[in-house]
Amino acid sequence: MLDLLNDKVKELSDIERKVLSSLSSEFADFEDISISSGVPLDSVRRASAWLSQKGFAVVSEKEVERYCLTSDGEKALSKGMPENVLLETLTQMGGKASFIELEKESQLSKQEFMAALGINKRKAFVIISQGMIEETGVAKAQENFSEQNFLRDIADGKKVSTEFVIDLQKRGLVEKKRVVDRTIKISPNGEKAKEILSSSNVSRVFNIEAPVPELFLGKKAPYIQFLQQIRAKLVSLGFTEMETKLIVTEFYNFDVLYQPQNHPARTWTDTYQLKNPKTGLLPDKRIVDAIKSAHEDGGKSGSKGWRYDWSAGVASRLMPSAHGTAHSARQLVKGVGMPKKYFAIARCFRPDVLDATHLIEFNQMEGFIVGKDLNFKHLLGMLKDFAIEVAGAEKVKFFPDYYPFTEPSVQLSAKHPELGWMEFAGAGMFRPEMLDNLGIKGEAIAWGMGIDRLAMFKLGIKDIRYLFSDDLNYLRNAKGVLL
Amino acid sequence: MPNLEVSKKDLEGMLAQKFSKEKLEETLEYIKGEIDSLEGDSLKIDCKETNRPDLWCTEGIARELKARMGKEKGIKEYKVRKSDVSVFINSNLEKIRPLIVCAVVKDIKITEDLLLQMIQLQEKVGENYGRKRKELGIGLYDFDIIQPPVYYKGFKDDEIEFVPLEWKVPMRPSEILSQHEKGKAYGHLLEGAEFYPIVIDANRTVASMPPIINSNTTGKVTEKTKNLFIEVTGFKWETVETALEVICMALADRGGKIFSCRVVFPSDKKPYPAKQLLTPVFSTEKMSFDKEIINQKTGLELKDKEIIDLLEKARYNVSVKGKKINVEYPSYRTDLMHPVDVIEDLLISYGFNNVVPQKIEMNVLGSQLEEVVFNDFVREGCTGLGLQEIMSYNLTSRQIQGVNMGLENESFIEIANPVSLNYEILRKNLSPQLLDFLSKNKDKEFPQRIFEIGTCLSLDAKAENGVKQSTNLCVVLTHSNVNFTEIKSVLVSLCKYLGLSCEVKKKLFPFLGENSAEIIVNGKKGFIGELKQEVVSSFGLRKPVVLFEFEL
Repeated sequence: MLDLLNDKVKELSDIERKVLSSLSSEFADFEDISISSGVPLDSVRRASAWLSQKGFAVVSEKEVERYCLTSDGEKALSKGMPENVLLETLTQMGGKASFIELEKESQLSKQEFMAALGINKRKAFVIISQGMIEETGVAKAQENFSEQNFLRDIADGKKVSTEFVIDLQKRGLVEKKRVVDRTIKISPNGEKAKEILSSSNVSRVFNIEAPVPELFLGKKAPYIQFLQQIRAKLVSLGFTEMETKLIVTEFYNFDVLYQPQNHPARTWTDTYQLKNPKTGLLPDKRIVDAIKSAHEDGGKSGSKGWRYDWSAGVASRLMPSAHGTAHSARQLVKGVGMPKKYFAIARCFRPDVLDATHLIEFNQMEGFIVGKDLNFKHLLGMLKDFAIEVAGAEKVKFFPDYYPFTEPSVQLSAKHPELGWMEFAGAGMFRPEMLDNLGIKGEAIAWGMGIDRLAMFKLGIKDIRYLFSDDLNYLRNAKGVLL
Repeated sequence: MPNLEVSKKDLEGMLAQKFSKEKLEETLEYIKGEIDSLEGDSLKIDCKETNRPDLWCTEGIARELKARMGKEKGIKEYKVRKSDVSVFINSNLEKIRPLIVCAVVKDIKITEDLLLQMIQLQEKVGENYGRKRKELGIGLYDFDIIQPPVYYKGFKDDEIEFVPLEWKVPMRPSEILSQHEKGKAYGHLLEGAEFYPIVIDANRTVASMPPIINSNTTGKVTEKTKNLFIEVTGFKWETVETALEVICMALADRGGKIFSCRVVFPSDKKPYPAKQLLTPVFSTEKMSFDKEIINQKTGLELKDKEIIDLLEKARYNVSVKGKKINVEYPSYRTDLMHPVDVIEDLLISYGFNNVVPQKIEMNVLGSQLEEVVFNDFVREGCTGLGLQEIMSYNLTSRQIQGVNMGLENESFIEIANPVSLNYEILRKNLSPQLLDFLSKNKDKEFPQRIFEIGTCLSLDAKAENGVKQSTNLCVVLTHSNVNFTEIKSVLVSLCKYLGLSCEVKKKLFPFLGENSAEIIVNGKKGFIGELKQEVVSSFGLRKPVVLFEFEL
């Protein structure tokens, strides 16, 4: 029997122990226990319930009547009593004002205004003379003795003289409510427990099945985790990461990529342009001339070219890069290894309206492979590898497509075990107008893919905006991402 | 890329074959087309052939598919008869809109399907191939009302007036540009011009003001029209001639007879192609290249016969002579610039999905950017300190980056055509974005301890792209009792782990309170401190905030 008691005592929490030691054989208010034990009132309430459940204390419940504030009372407490508002306004207006002016200036309702005026008149704080309301000066001589203080006391549960309470009740600021009043005293078992606790230092035993508070791990954003693992995959496939820039000249975004300067995609509706800064610098004249001739007459490639007058001015306009291929373009201009594989995960910008399926900026995975003997079969082989390695696809299908910078151009559709068929990548062989004029001797197969749909699937989200989530709870509760 | 709408029945009629949806899907790959929707008879196609206006109508699709499906082969020949219509071009349009080419198509039975296709073709060619009518405008007229010869001439505003389509009273050109729907839409194309281009006949009846609007008199084509007059205006011979041929072919495929017009140019110097020409010309071009390139590029092992067969399916006339292959194609195929374009056409005939993918054997090592590896190292330190990483956008507002921070006069990288004022600039610092994040999470549990590693941009006149791009780290902590010591602990502990030197020097910043300092981490500058009360309030926050940010 005593063992059982001992076990129960061991399970008591620190707070329960503190509250128990403050209890006596007389019923006491929770407030008093809170003061004597130093435990906050809320914790005392909870500990009392547990102690009573465990048979260490007796809690008595009695229904009593208490005064509480009505909603008007709450308003008066926060904004001031109407009579004070009226008086203060009158003072501000020079101590004298007409009914209409004062009512308007005080911003009181008609009803509030009349009641407030009545009170001030009764207390002789104001008089009415020839249709004007005037201060008497009595209010200043008297101690500032406002009903507002009573309201605060009532709200805090303190005792207030009945006379004032009845007055406030009449004005509809205070009402009587029936509430449950709890008091607590120690039980005989509680006395024994108290004895055990005071006689020896009893260490606590925990209920191992009880729920515990959750902790927030410090962790990476889910989208970052996804992107990092995609990077690791590409590195394992032999790709080297390229540098990316958020702001590029149209030269890299379009011209190097053999996109003619009157191409519809270069108009404002499809890409952003900059107001400040407006233009950037073009690279070496040798390179600029090579690109110019690629456009105008095909240059060294044997192509007819686009046959128009190419403008360096247009090419030097700046813009936030609209596709990842801009970075491949820069790499081609800087020079490439032979053979070599390149990739970039690039932030891209297009004028879209943010909604559940569109982002204003997004990430594109982009790259190319250069080599001497690459052909169309290799292009398809590479795409198939990607679909399987990166997206876990079961089947792939290829469709003819169009890009200004590749010929042939392919679109890859992949069948994902859960997402079904989806457009997964655009790809192709870089055009000879680009490679031949930049002096790259070999073939280059290029690819680009939007990885956001795959990211959404891996992150288990339906709304694309969660990739850049501004909801701390989502981030705190998000599971770790594994490709 | 053009979105086309055709009648499925009409297309099936032209091909004399019915299609299931699956079969149609597969067949449309030949024109780089994807089915957008198929509802009842209405078939919407997303056609990716951006540079092939000949495909942008039912007639054109059918023409291409007939060959790809083996029903026809090689270049389709069109018979052109001579009409006695002459068109005279005035030199006063040389700097404004110099070229016009014309044709007459007779005995055409205009059905509802055909009329819809003609309107669509005219619009798609003008919008896409003609770059929103800038480079070409197309007009179709009832030929029986026009009195040849036809003149293409510039008029001053007070010299001419006519009733535009869908209008009742005559208007001056300037009135059309300011009042008519089409005038408002395309008027900018004639902005500042000394003359307005007018197509006018021998009776001084105005046919149109290209590329804006036809006249209501001659420019109305209905199901009653039997003979059509067609004109295309623009700047480049090749472009206008292509558009004219594309339209004539479509009408001829419907049973019309093509008649040429004699176009007389003011001179034979650029931009004019000759002194005079009969249009449409329907010329062909030739390309000759090493046969070997085909197998090199495709990885296939095709025999001469197969190559010829596949290219004839793509409507080339082909011959092989020794190592060379000679292809001939219609000159409206302006998309063909290099042998690779011909090779892609061959592969489309072959079928991309009939090519067996081959693995790339390439022994190369991959690597990440050093900077990316380092960022991840920093990230590891931050998460170890229990901080939650967030990701914000680079695009943001002047309000968040400037006004809220008390940095009203700061200059930023500015977007010229923002979609919304919330995304009008690119961020210069991360701190404002993290504070904005906190403002959206005031109701979440405290303490809140977050960080971001991200790109920041500032103006830099010396840089090639006019900006300095850096990667910054920003850490922000907020709870009721947060103070300078707590944030400095994070900074110092982190730098210790990362092996970075860290100097803290007292300095005031406009957005930080008294307890603030400049930090120099590994030689790069940043700031640390308690956020000023005004800044806390301007972000609508209630609890104190401490933060640091520096360039990595």
